[in-house]
Amino acid sequence: MDRVKTGIAGLDTMLNDGLLPARPYVVSGPTGSGKTVLAAHFLLEGLRQQEPCLLVTLDEPPFEVKSNMATFGWSLDRLKILDATPDVRAHKRARSVIDVGTSLDVRDMEDVTDIRQSSVMRALEVTVHSVQKMIKQEFLTHLEHTKQRYKRIVVDSMTALKMFSMQGQDSRILIQSFLRFLSELEATSLIVSERLDRKTLETEFFLSRGEIRLHKWIDGSAIRRAVSIEKFRGSSFDDKMRTLTIGEKGMVVLLEAPATIRGTSPGPKPGESLLEARLIDEVSNAIEGVMRQIEEAHRRQVPVRDMEVSLSRAMLAFQRRSYQKAMQIALACDSDLKQRIAGAPPPPPVAAPPRPPAVTR
Amino acid sequence: MIPATKIRTGISGLDKLLHGGYVPGRPYIVSGPPGAGKTIMSVQFLREGLEGGERCLFVALEEPPNELKINMRAFRWNLDDLDVLDANSDIRRFEPTPILEISTEEEPAKMRAIGERIRKTPDFESKEVTVHSLQQLLKTLLVKRHYERVVIDSMTALRYFCMREFEEAVTTQSFMRYLAESKVTSLLILELPEEGEVPPEAFLARGEVRLHKLRDETGIKRFVSVEKYKGSSHDESVYPFEITTSGIVINTASKPAMAV
Repeated sequence: MDRVKTGIAGLDTMLNDGLLPARPYVVSGPTGSGKTVLAAHFLLEGLRQQEPCLLVTLDEPPFEVKSNMATFGWSLDRLKILDATPDVRAHKRARSVIDVGTSLDVRDMEDVTDIRQSSVMRALEVTVHSVQKMIKQEFLTHLEHTKQRYKRIVVDSMTALKMFSMQGQDSRILIQSFLRFLSELEATSLIVSERLDRKTLETEFFLSRGEIRLHKWIDGSAIRRAVSIEKFRGSSFDDKMRTLTIGEKGMVVLLEAPATIRGTSPGPKPGESLLEARLIDEVSNAIEGVMRQIEEAHRRQVPVRDMEVSLSRAMLAFQRRSYQKAMQIALACDSDLKQRIAGAPPPPPVAAPPRPPAVTR
Repeated sequence: MIPATKIRTGISGLDKLLHGGYVPGRPYIVSGPPGAGKTIMSVQFLREGLEGGERCLFVALEEPPNELKINMRAFRWNLDDLDVLDANSDIRRFEPTPILEISTEEEPAKMRAIGERIRKTPDFESKEVTVHSLQQLLKTLLVKRHYERVVIDSMTALRYFCMREFEEAVTTQSFMRYLAESKVTSLLILELPEEGEVPPEAFLARGEVRLHKLRDETGIKRFVSVEKYKGSSHDESVYPFEITTSGIVINTASKPAMAV
């Protein structure tokens, strides 16, 4: 089956030549990690291959998208852009978006000059329903005028769509329906989404046929970036995390060396999973054991200053998520301490044994 | 040696972990985060049944059957005789057009008959899958076709899209109870978040095979563990596995993954 190229050579290699056509995919990552840039590459590649492409923008108004892309020297003039940014609410009028034609909201990128004034046109309130309706109408109009179907669709972003328009229990069903809708259009679509909470299972993440995840972290004073593929139904893929740069020519994925995250930034990092939670348990148990032994050594007045230094090294490694290293140090301390304590005279009697200190994570 | 009372899972390493396979006629959970390999594992379970001449049913709630067919092609398994029930709801309409619950007349399609392209929502009515209609339909199908193996892909989709939030706990429980009573061996796929709590379905099943995904410097590592298996002993370690061109292969020879 023909693959759909993302327009970023390194990423296409990671995807084993590209995405599978006519399916929805998620591009995820924190703010500023390059999700929109990746999506622009995807659209630009489509235009290069003479494919009709549609950008549905919910985050940034079209003129901002345009000027941002101009910094890379890209011309997205032939791109159709559907402006679904919500208006200033105060200007909302009684007419809903459902009854009016939506063709006004779709423009060629070259016609985009300025921000749309809420007061000039009718006020739009964005809902999943209205966005879906706008896309459908645009799809059909385009098909009628050019006899061509949109091949690529980008929705930027799902996070915005959710925040604007979804409340309560229906949101899962609305997203399911929206993804079904995109699938039935048989366009390859990218859905830009910020993962807000790793503990909840968000609909678009498990329903999409794949996830390209962008990472960003601080290393000293520099911003580092990487990309990984977390899921890709129906295809093999490069499962390593690869270094990413965003430069004058846009996004470049470096395939030579896998990226490793060695930063000081707090917050979620890749590689956290149930299994890691178990590893953490094991290592913290080992460290706790060493701490108890040091306590014991103190009571027996065995010199263990060097062990305390090693322990802090282990804890440092633990904090930096070098679990293997932390474990090695802790185990070495453990056996060393056992020997020293065994060779020491029995402890002086104490009234109450001191409580072992707890490891704080 | 497989004891006569158990059935094979379609993955030899998993048979070992489960000390012979699944006790037939019960529901089991296959859980894991997105991209762990749950669907592949469950298709291997069905394929094992097909090879033994059993009737097998795949209930698709997450991806359209045409995509399942394309995705499984790379493995070159003969799934022609697999019955696939398309339980994906149509695009929701927001206008007063009739919404039809999937009827109990609905028939699964044979894998060989499934086309390349996605089924389109008809213009004037939308098919909606509710847990009640699906349960009714399964009841009819199980009587009519005597399925021996059934996969529900996924319970998460069923809970998210086919029932109302206030009834989730009760309805899920009753659906699983129904499967237990129907005496079919079923695998229920459960999506797990990347961290945090395990959904309640896991506590209701007779057994749970959990897939883990861990990312490190060398890429994604996959592991499998049997979290629970009522009525049978099982291996308690965590083993690495890979998704190869012949499906999931569990490396039971290697040291359990937890030894650091």
